[in-house]
Amino acid sequence: MILSLSLLLIAGPEKALGGMLAASNEAVTLSLTLLAVYAVWLGILSIVEHTGLSNALSRLLKPVIRFLFGKNIAPETEKYISVNMSANLLGMGGAATPMGIKAIRSMDDGKGAATDAMIMLFVLNASGISLIPTTLIGLRGAAGSKAPADIILPTLIAVIASAVFGTLVVKGIQRLGKRRKKWKMDG
Amino acid sequence: MVDYIIPALFLLLFAFAAFRKIPVYDKFVEGAKGAANVCISAFPYLAATLIMVQLFRLSGAAAAAARFLAPGLEFIGIPRELSELILLRPFTGSGSTALVNDIMSKYGADSYVERCAAVVAGSSDTVFYVASIYFGGTKVKRLKYAIPVALLVTVFSSALSCWLCKVM
Repeated sequence: MILSLSLLLIAGPEKALGGMLAASNEAVTLSLTLLAVYAVWLGILSIVEHTGLSNALSRLLKPVIRFLFGKNIAPETEKYISVNMSANLLGMGGAATPMGIKAIRSMDDGKGAATDAMIMLFVLNASGISLIPTTLIGLRGAAGSKAPADIILPTLIAVIASAVFGTLVVKGIQRLGKRRKKWKMDG
Repeated sequence: MVDYIIPALFLLLFAFAAFRKIPVYDKFVEGAKGAANVCISAFPYLAATLIMVQLFRLSGAAAAAARFLAPGLEFIGIPRELSELILLRPFTGSGSTALVNDIMSKYGADSYVERCAAVVAGSSDTVFYVASIYFGGTKVKRLKYAIPVALLVTVFSSALSCWLCKVM
């Protein structure tokens, strides 16, 4: 931020405040859009919760969650994670995000550091899970592509590969961390 | 065809809920109330991130950094035309879409560069945005290895995307 601001000061200071305001405006618009999206999805998900479907879902996904996130997950967190993962797999990013946020918040123990489980959930979500990139296909069609949907397969492969890669890296770092602690304790 | 899936699922859900005697309207409203909470707590972090990105781009630092990174990216198989996209992808989703659009008009649809751009954008996500809204409302201050790993995954998926476009 400091670097950019100083550069901008030299290059074109009149653009600085305008740029900041434009970006802030963008944040407002984005937040409003998200508010609408989340209202729909959180409403739907509340119904899902009250019909007991999310409980059934988390029972189904328990082994996967244990493997990815470890054993110390509270049942409430488990539910949020299951819905988050399922929504991601079904390509419903708008549903996944609020559930991911709830999951992270329920894992917050007030100690101020991100836990391993939080990081795993974050990396999985931030690695770009989506099944069909509809916006991009639309853009390609508009730009004159003759086969806009043929990016589906490479995108799918890349998404799955990066999710696996992300999981391996996070797990690897966790194991390294535990081994380091053991070395320190053994003296 | 795909359009039918989500509305159909919702309809099934409502039918199931009605069968279980759940008051659909009330429960929907109850859930939707949480939306405002989530968005308001995420907003300041979102604003800060977007402002930083805008300043970064306006000052020309983004273009310069992209030029600097290009050779390294090319080494792992990412065409240098995509370096600004890769640089900005973790910061802004709408900005990335705009960049992909630019690449499409510059290099033409169905070109190798354009396909790579689309797959790269589609297979990665806005790391800093996700980080800010996920951790924004919590007490978490130290993210440890979260962001570096997420960025590593982004680079990995971008390189893989370009390679896949080459062989497919």
